[in-house]
Amino acid sequence: MFKRPLHALLAVLVATAVFVFAVLLPNFKLITVVFTSQNSTLLEKSSLLLNLLGSIQTNFTTLSAITVFLISILFGIQVSLLVYYIKRVRTGSKISGVGVSGLGGLVSGMFGIGCAACGTFVLTSLLALFGVSGLLAFLPFGGEEFGFIGLGLLGYSIYMLTKKINDPLVCSVN
Amino acid sequence: MEETTQKQTNQYLIPISIVMAGAFIAGALYMSNGGPNSVPVANPGTNNQPVAQAPQPEGSTDAVRAVDGADHIKGNPNAAIKIVEYSDFECPFCKRFHDTMNEVMDKYGDNGDVAWVFRQFPLDQLHPVKARAVAIASECAAEQGGNDAFWKFTDGYFDVTLTNNRTDIETVIPQLVKETGLDQVAFQTCFESGKYDQHIEDDIQNAVATGGRGTPWSVVIAPNGKTFPLNGAQPLAAVEQLIEIARNEK
Repeated sequence: MFKRPLHALLAVLVATAVFVFAVLLPNFKLITVVFTSQNSTLLEKSSLLLNLLGSIQTNFTTLSAITVFLISILFGIQVSLLVYYIKRVRTGSKISGVGVSGLGGLVSGMFGIGCAACGTFVLTSLLALFGVSGLLAFLPFGGEEFGFIGLGLLGYSIYMLTKKINDPLVCSVN
Repeated sequence: MEETTQKQTNQYLIPISIVMAGAFIAGALYMSNGGPNSVPVANPGTNNQPVAQAPQPEGSTDAVRAVDGADHIKGNPNAAIKIVEYSDFECPFCKRFHDTMNEVMDKYGDNGDVAWVFRQFPLDQLHPVKARAVAIASECAAEQGGNDAFWKFTDGYFDVTLTNNRTDIETVIPQLVKETGLDQVAFQTCFESGKYDQHIEDDIQNAVATGGRGTPWSVVIAPNGKTFPLNGAQPLAAVEQLIEIARNEK
């Protein structure tokens, strides 16, 4: 599948987008304030954006940085596989439920994005919504466990998608 | 029969998953933009006892308390640009950002362009007892020896802290008090008095009011009073660029 340049490009673009999104997520508000200001040049604004990407080294633990990096790559691969699969089944049979595992992986992967320590981890926000953010203190990895689960589910869904893609499109006998 | 039921379930799972994925992404964006939050806050008067807090309304950096003589300031107190940092002594990212801010002050402090204002934001639920105890100790250091003593104590603590509540504060605090040249008896009296509980609580409430949900949380104040939120331990280059952007706001 990745022999097709467009699918490889899609995987790279999605992975990059997810990575940038995850790293810049904690400063979404700052970016909004800066980019709506009329007193700075576009170069200064872009430079800030670029420099904020360096926070992958300063604002993430090594473990969470690796998790974000892997989730981004798996996201890219998965979306590309999903697009390939959907295009294929459209020309063949009806869409089956295989997309479920893929989309489930996307959702679970979102748990692993962000930075638990600075309070921008998606899970932290969700827990905070219910007033139980202290729960994180009881988790050995401070909530990063959910990133690992996301990685596992993404890996599993990629495996399932690959398996489905390799399956011949036939009408099965019940 | 069983397979038919499973296929029917799968038909619903796809749209449900899509909706869930969208909701999570939207939620992430909303939360990162200062949505409802709950910050661990200690109960005033009962030291170190975290209490659950109801979700807070969205904060605004414009709510940052005016910088005054009661603040701990490194650099020119009348600097055109002020960086107000809300920090937790046991947070590993605060330790990292403390070094970054010292580098910022090395570059911009001498010519009086930038002032660094340090405010307390101990996260009791993540770093119980110790973060708040060190915050109190730093206030007592300031009381006993002034602004210089505060920064000597603070720089010294961030140098040695193991972070994440692993620091032996029973040893480190007395050692820093000694190195800072403070009266140990007077310091101990201050430390046990509870007189800075309300001050620390005020700092925490101000951090929350400005939109802080974790540490380090900073508000950069431009010459014209415009405020910029800065979340987390951002790299030196990003802080420098933000200073240049703030400088344009006259």
